[in-house]
Amino acid sequence: MGVTIFAVVVTLAAYLGTRHLYLRYRHPLLNVVALSAGLIIIALVAARIPYNQYVPAKDLMTALLGPATVGLAVPLYRHRGLLLRFGPAILGSVVLGAFLAMLSASLMTQWGGLPRDVVMSMLPKGVSIPFAVEIARIYNGIPALTAAFVVATGTLGSLLGGWLLNLARIDDPVARGLALGTVSHGQGTATALMEGELQGAMAGLAMILSGIFTAGLAPLAVWLLGVMA
Amino acid sequence: MTQTLKALGQLALLWAIYLGGNWLVAAVGLPIPGNVVGVLALFSLLCLGVVKLSHVEMAADFLLKHLVFFFVPIAVGLMEWGGVFYDYGLVLAAAILVSAVLPLLAVGGLSQLLRRGRG
Repeated sequence: MGVTIFAVVVTLAAYLGTRHLYLRYRHPLLNVVALSAGLIIIALVAARIPYNQYVPAKDLMTALLGPATVGLAVPLYRHRGLLLRFGPAILGSVVLGAFLAMLSASLMTQWGGLPRDVVMSMLPKGVSIPFAVEIARIYNGIPALTAAFVVATGTLGSLLGGWLLNLARIDDPVARGLALGTVSHGQGTATALMEGELQGAMAGLAMILSGIFTAGLAPLAVWLLGVMA
Repeated sequence: MTQTLKALGQLALLWAIYLGGNWLVAAVGLPIPGNVVGVLALFSLLCLGVVKLSHVEMAADFLLKHLVFFFVPIAVGLMEWGGVFYDYGLVLAAAILVSAVLPLLAVGGLSQLLRRGRG
């Protein structure tokens, strides 16, 4: 009980502190999830609390993740006009991107000789954490690893995404938003929002849709992985 | 007070849809997460007008504002998996780099092409 209260307090403090830092400087490297988790792990190790004693606090604090994720339908609905207007560009490119991200990540780790549970943790890492973690679970991946890969991809995409798109002469705001949101989910959406409102809205849509498409296409990707083993 | 009650009612509705999604997935045996079904269900209900935006937006906006908070305790689980990065760091870094750059350019390129194609 005491440990759980300590864990909740430490987690809240780390989240609020790093969130404050991020809102002040808005730099992609000031990632709230990565920094908070790092601080909490340091605190737990210092207090000699093993991970299994953190689990009750984790279960308590993530109880609302399910309804929060369902709430993503609200921004999707608010932007339904954009969805209709740019339908073909959105559907075609996000389906392609979601599938490519899944296949390239898992194939490379499979060829690199990594254990099956790590490969399956890598498979859905291109999408937002709530979807990625649940997809990983279906295929016996490890949620914490998936979360780490998701954050790494998001940070990389937000750091290099704009520059790479410039290099490839992709200047259409709809295309830039879709690319950033598909690859770097929430972090890419934050980056796209800094480019402009249309870019941000497209990235937000792409983030949610790529989560849905990745969930739908995962069985195909897993089958292909088996064929190419 | 009434605002708090309203938000709690909205939260209950979101929760019910989430549980409904999980139940459906388990009942049919679909290899798809229940939360994905939940998002699609709520989106459909909003489009059909069965659920109005005002029935859910207060709770949804608050939860989405702090969505990242829920990811933090999940990421703390890494505590037990540090060794994986030590053993396979290079392969993992390469896989993450390629699987970020490739789709980024594919999505950007294809959507730009599709947009230009339509004039």
